Amino acid sequence: MKKILVIDDDVDILLLVKLALTMNGLDVRTLSRWEMIPETIEEYAPALILMDISLGTADGRDICKGLKREALTKDIPVILFSANNEFQKSIGECQAEGFIAKPFDISDLVARVKEKAR
Amino acid sequence: MNFLTNISIRNKLVLIQVLTSVLVLGLFATIFIVRQINDFKTRKALDIGSIAGVIAQNSISPLQFQDADAEMKMLNDVETVSPDINFISVMDRDRNDFAVLGKEKADSDDYSTYRNSVGTFFTDNDLIVVRSIDNGGETIGKVYLEVRLTELTRMKVHMLRLATALALLAVLAAFLISIGMQSYISSRLLALVRVMRRVGDTGDYRASIRDEGSDEISVLVKGFQRLLEQIRENERRKDEFIGVASHELKTPLTNVKGYLEILNTLEDREPQREIVERAFANAGKLEKLIADLLDVSKIQTGQLELNLTDFDMDELIRDSIASTRMLAKDRSITQMVRVECTVRADRQRIEQVLLNLLSNAVKYSPEGNPIEVNAVVSGDEITVEVADYGPGVPGGEETAIFGRFYRARGISQHISGFGLGLYICRDIVNRHRGRIWVRNRPDGASFFFRMPVKGPT
Repeated sequence: MKKILVIDDDVDILLLVKLALTMNGLDVRTLSRWEMIPETIEEYAPALILMDISLGTADGRDICKGLKREALTKDIPVILFSANNEFQKSIGECQAEGFIAKPFDISDLVARVKEKAR
Repeated sequence: MNFLTNISIRNKLVLIQVLTSVLVLGLFATIFIVRQINDFKTRKALDIGSIAGVIAQNSISPLQFQDADAEMKMLNDVETVSPDINFISVMDRDRNDFAVLGKEKADSDDYSTYRNSVGTFFTDNDLIVVRSIDNGGETIGKVYLEVRLTELTRMKVHMLRLATALALLAVLAAFLISIGMQSYISSRLLALVRVMRRVGDTGDYRASIRDEGSDEISVLVKGFQRLLEQIRENERRKDEFIGVASHELKTPLTNVKGYLEILNTLEDREPQREIVERAFANAGKLEKLIADLLDVSKIQTGQLELNLTDFDMDELIRDSIASTRMLAKDRSITQMVRVECTVRADRQRIEQVLLNLLSNAVKYSPEGNPIEVNAVVSGDEITVEVADYGPGVPGGEETAIFGRFYRARGISQHISGFGLGLYICRDIVNRHRGRIWVRNRPDGASFFFRMPVKGPT
């Protein structure tokens, strides 16, 4: 089972995404606090990271940039999602593998995650 | 004076300046002419008065000696010297004609009127001088002189012509000068009016107008500028609110939609499944409304940007028709003509326009009626038509339907939405340097949009 790490400060979304992905045969770990990302990655070794851009005190794009700089994490695909469609433009800059606009279709989300997961 | 309020300030200023100039010039010209005429009359009266004096002096002895021949000779001499004298009569003490000399017959009325008085008189055409002949304090007769004033008449005609020519010249000059000068006053006002009109017509409050000065026009301009700034500030706050609100609305909506979608895949019993599907469809509508609000907020703040790519228009039309068919399963939607055309535009936004026109066609035409799509390339432009077989657009509303928050009138059933769809479509097409419009046919309405194939450059 491919392991997916989902990061969002909205617990409802986390639960929804977890439900959707698990039902489609994926292993899911959720995280509502971005500060825990490094140790979670180290311990869980996800095949893909699905991350919200607005994380309260941090910007998902900055975190993504940070991950892409580290040798250990730079090969993990990252998909960012946001309710603000404008963010789509800055995805290339932070080297993320994809962008999904909220509100998303579950089927679309699952397809995108499966496609990009290592 | 009511008509004055209807003519432009520019023309008013010209009118005032021309009238003032003509009035002043007319006044001066009249004074000048009257003085000229009076001077002439005074001079003439003096001349003829002194001739009358000479005649009186020289008539004393002929009168005393009753020598009419000598008198006539003297009068002939006077006439030779002063040929404009028309009629001379010398009367004796009993006012009987003693000697009479006239080129023409004297005006008998004038003669009988003035022969009994003494003095200088002006009639319509003549100057008449009557003088008594005195000898040592005793009046022994009278001289009556009549001069035809042809020179004065000529002078009057001449002056009238001159005055008319001058007046015309003055009107012309005043007109030209005032045309040049009026802009000094009117241009600032007209600039303000122009901006006000533009703001009124387009609803674009980004207009700005400057005026350095402290007169009334300046106060007006600054007042309007302040008003515009206030409106802009209010608009900005409203747009900011819409932006934040729709963003905030999206997050819970994501959850509702997602959970419903999951529920839908789990549920396989018919009644429950339908309930979930309906809830899901409504969440979709809500999503579309929020997206529209967000788009309008972007349009208003000028943040709606195009993401230009090259794409196949025919494929886009087929995709849009397929998406619309999913929502309106029993509708026949046909693409009448295939079009081979690669277009440079924002694919997502043009798809939004097409989907909007198609869903309007579904909403506003009776069930069962077909919907047709046509696309034609001519020169550098592509025109796409979405035709329905419905009641058409109400007469006179062909432009208004593209306005903000427009709601179709006279349609009995409720059609959901904010009335923003066509407004957004118009903005998207305009940003592509294109045009969107509607035309009623006898059997329905046709919406067209036309835009350059090579993109909005």
